[in-house]
Amino acid sequence: MAYYYGIRHLSPNGAYQLINLLNDRKPDIVLVEGGSDLNDLIPQICGQNVKLPIAIMSYSQTIPIRTVLYPFAEYSPEYQAIKWAVKNGKQCRFIDLPSSVFLALMDISEKRRLSSENQDNSDNQNEYDKEFGSIYTKLEKFMDEDQESWWERHFEQLSSYEDYAKASEEYGRNLRIYDDKIPIDDAENYLREAYMRYNIDLAEREFDSDKIVVVTGAYHTYGIKNNIPLTEDEIKKLPSLPNKSTLMPYSYYRLSQRSGYGAGNKAPMYYELLWFAINHKDLKDAGIEYLTNIASYQRSGGNFSSSAEVIEAVRLANELAKLKGSNVPVLQDLRDSAVTCMGHGKFSEISEAVANIEIGTKIGSLPEGVSNTSIQEDFYFKLKDLKLEKYKSVVVQQLDLDLRENMRVKSEKAAFLDLERSFFLHKLCCLGVHFAENMNKKQDNATWAEQWSIAWTPETEIDIIESTLKGDTIDLAVSFVFNERLEKAQTITEASEVISDACLCGMADSVKSAVSVLQALATNSASVEEIAETARNISFVIRYGNIRKTNPEPLLPLLEQLFYRGCLIMPESCVCDNNAVAGIIKAISALNEISINHSSVNVDEWKKTLTAISKRDDLNTKASGYATAILLERGDISNDMLSIEVERRLSRGIPAELGAGWFEGLSLRNRYALIARLSLWEKLSQYIDCLDDEEFKRALVFLRRAFCEFSPNDKCDIAENLGEIWGVNPDIASEIINNQFTDAEQDILDGLDDFDFGDL
Amino acid sequence: MSNDFQRLPAEELYQNEINALIEAETDEIPTGWKMSPRSVLKYIIGGKVGNTNIIPKYIGNKRVVEICIATLVTDRALLLIGEPGTAKSWLSEHLAAAINGDSTKVIQGTAGTTEEQIKYSWNYAMLIAQGPTKEAMVKTPVYRAMETGSICRFEEISRCASEVQDALISILSEKRISVPELSIEVAAKKGFSVIATANTRDKGVNEMSAALKRRFNIVVLPTPKDIKTEMNIVKSGVTRLSNNFDIKAEIPTDKLIENVCTIFRELRDGQTLDGKQKVKTTSGVLSTAEAISLLTNSMALSASFGNGKIEVEDVAAALQGAVVKDEDKDKVAWKEYLENILKKRGSEWRELYMACKELNS
Repeated sequence: MAYYYGIRHLSPNGAYQLINLLNDRKPDIVLVEGGSDLNDLIPQICGQNVKLPIAIMSYSQTIPIRTVLYPFAEYSPEYQAIKWAVKNGKQCRFIDLPSSVFLALMDISEKRRLSSENQDNSDNQNEYDKEFGSIYTKLEKFMDEDQESWWERHFEQLSSYEDYAKASEEYGRNLRIYDDKIPIDDAENYLREAYMRYNIDLAEREFDSDKIVVVTGAYHTYGIKNNIPLTEDEIKKLPSLPNKSTLMPYSYYRLSQRSGYGAGNKAPMYYELLWFAINHKDLKDAGIEYLTNIASYQRSGGNFSSSAEVIEAVRLANELAKLKGSNVPVLQDLRDSAVTCMGHGKFSEISEAVANIEIGTKIGSLPEGVSNTSIQEDFYFKLKDLKLEKYKSVVVQQLDLDLRENMRVKSEKAAFLDLERSFFLHKLCCLGVHFAENMNKKQDNATWAEQWSIAWTPETEIDIIESTLKGDTIDLAVSFVFNERLEKAQTITEASEVISDACLCGMADSVKSAVSVLQALATNSASVEEIAETARNISFVIRYGNIRKTNPEPLLPLLEQLFYRGCLIMPESCVCDNNAVAGIIKAISALNEISINHSSVNVDEWKKTLTAISKRDDLNTKASGYATAILLERGDISNDMLSIEVERRLSRGIPAELGAGWFEGLSLRNRYALIARLSLWEKLSQYIDCLDDEEFKRALVFLRRAFCEFSPNDKCDIAENLGEIWGVNPDIASEIINNQFTDAEQDILDGLDDFDFGDL
Repeated sequence: MSNDFQRLPAEELYQNEINALIEAETDEIPTGWKMSPRSVLKYIIGGKVGNTNIIPKYIGNKRVVEICIATLVTDRALLLIGEPGTAKSWLSEHLAAAINGDSTKVIQGTAGTTEEQIKYSWNYAMLIAQGPTKEAMVKTPVYRAMETGSICRFEEISRCASEVQDALISILSEKRISVPELSIEVAAKKGFSVIATANTRDKGVNEMSAALKRRFNIVVLPTPKDIKTEMNIVKSGVTRLSNNFDIKAEIPTDKLIENVCTIFRELRDGQTLDGKQKVKTTSGVLSTAEAISLLTNSMALSASFGNGKIEVEDVAAALQGAVVKDEDKDKVAWKEYLENILKKRGSEWRELYMACKELNS
């Protein structure tokens, strides 16, 4: 019969004893739990320059993308089994369900979950566990310590593979008996075991069954031994998704968060220490090294931690282990001793050190050419090309970029290195790859400087691999994303966002296609606000684009077009109520800015538009007032004209709210110019004088609003003006205007809140 | 066993348990100890030996006790730190009782503790009459513990002046006391150790020097982690005390214990148990020990002046006394808590609320 070796994934002793077993039995074939469609990757896993941890990732070629991961660390029994087979020229096969089937099962259950999300789904394993306690919490009660420590104490310290195999099989069998899982998980386990049985039978027909070693999770050993194999027909009927698979670097951090093979490993770095210790045949070394590492981490952080403390911690850990009946302390003993002796009783004092020493920041790497997707290769090529390799670390690092040409270097490539980096990082952002984050969100800061914070995680790799569906290289994928966004774009704002993003990525072609889409959308769209906002964005790109070597040429006609269109529809847009006018004023301001910054746009038309808005009586008076203010600012209206206009707007026949509204609009811009014009204030004074009580109340409400934006300084100046007009002491006037209201005055004003405008 | 004393040391109170454990001992016993570390653990957290039931002495965090025992096996000194009323002294007494069968070698740290009380002092009449002799020397608990290889307890170590605390440094590192007057040196026998306690509220009064701290393994005793644990502690505490004092009253109901624990926990943590509402905290320490004494008091009240049943008014009065220590601030916080939280808790709390309200109106 084949030799069944049950393991815990990521068990150092399991791996070590497995090597002994293989050396003893010298099997012709090793069968390993893992997707049976991934056998092609076996030689690559053991290739030169592969640094663990790594993972096999299998991803579906359907949308939404489903992925399944098989992570390996140095001390994974599976990895050591594969390594042994490759080294000794023996066969090695994965025997679990093909990953394509896993992906399909995942797809089905995910869809089921989504569809039943609204309903009450009670067959959720988590909820089930909450109610009854999972098998592990039950076990913990029985074992009198947490399951992780219990395993380490009893399994990681065994000294022969026979013991390990027997113990783990017994453990797995008991888990099966006492674990009442929900039926669907049970069914999946059953299916997997029957499939593995089928594959083992297949191997047994091929090889001498004494020369077969089967390495699977301890939980499955009993099932595999006793289940009936699937038939070929049944296998054909299994659901399956089209998929591809690749190797990817993995991190200890990610390993520590239960993933992939199910059994996570809370302290991968510590387990690595354990792995080395087992290999050097002195288990106690792991604990000593762990505690020493914590002490030196503490010291590197400027905290005092003496060797005496380490010695005491080691002694305490040994005693704790003895209390529990083992000779060698386990992680929990070590950590508690560290807290007591080095943390002075407080975990918080050493928590950072513990995280670092237990989990660590180690990440794996693959030699060039091993990654199976071209986009991965492209990504790593670019990293190298742009000298960003040192940022491939799980520790967050800052990168400051200066996009300007570096004059001190010889080659053009070096001169624009930072710019190319910026393009690259922006591209990754557009792809939704979590690698770098742009820290300066504000565009109005220096446009030549960028700050990024960069950290690599296995998720980065997964994101990149997922992008493979969009294109074979990063550039292709990004332009695919832009095209997709453009196809979906309904408004010119969306299209203009693509333009600015494409400029950030330095993708001239995408800019061009975005421009044409925008042009098409602009003809049939849009409110004047939208046009103004879009034009402003484009103007921004044109003005500052040269730092990114963007060619503004294709954008200019579009800007002119949008600007002209804005001019034409602006007057009619000014027919609006007081809520909408704020947006219109913003639009006027934006278009005015463009008319100043770009000589190529039709400035004359803009002047005409402004004059029209300022003159017409049927528009929102605030907009008219604002247009007048701009004309005044541009010097396009003479003093005489202004006073005529003021007189007309603030004459008795005009309803008070309209007059005051106009004044409000006028006072939104260049207040100093207004304050300096004494005649204006004379007109205002005359206007107020001629109002009767009821009209005055109406006007007061609006005028108050107009003046609330003025600073106390402005108000002083106005007081001076009025003082001159009325012949009173300016100081007294100013005091009256700037003083807080008395209660009595406040009451009167509050009364105005309920003022009935009747016709409004 | 006669029970004329107000309070018996742990080793006498639980003599039968200790004897049973010693009898059933199978593991290796460290030098100077009466039983193995595992038996000590069992004595403290409870269990069964043969036919003898071991009453749990420290309920809650078992791991803390394991660390304490393991520390003492390594002959390191142990420092227990925690909020007032987290059973520091209680735990240290029982550790000493189980390990040595003697928990009476105690130094009580106060502002008036002197170095002589830690090392040794003299019977001055004899000193003057005979000059320095062994007979004229008055041995301190530490001295005796070193001679016999046992454990000395040092209560509230942070209440002592720093220079007095530091007298321990040489004792703990050299493990010997020299008596220059007699030109002798006393070396500690195996098994000697010190269990000190210090409370976090007094931190900074006399901060321990780093040199001294370094000689201790420090264990922080947590407040009970959930209400269930706390209720268990209170219940066993109340039962024990009332047996001790022969209080002829009914043990408080679970409901009442739960109510008192809930109020204490909420006021201590500054939020309701479900975490949904913030509560003003009070200045006093609302420890588990305080809850025990509160309920025992109520029992004594009802036994002496009532019908042997705890009346809700008695509890209310005791609560008032426990929560409102002296300041006006506490009173406001307590009133707010009554109105905002208790009042809205429904009928089960009605009686207690009304009684408390009465006292404050």
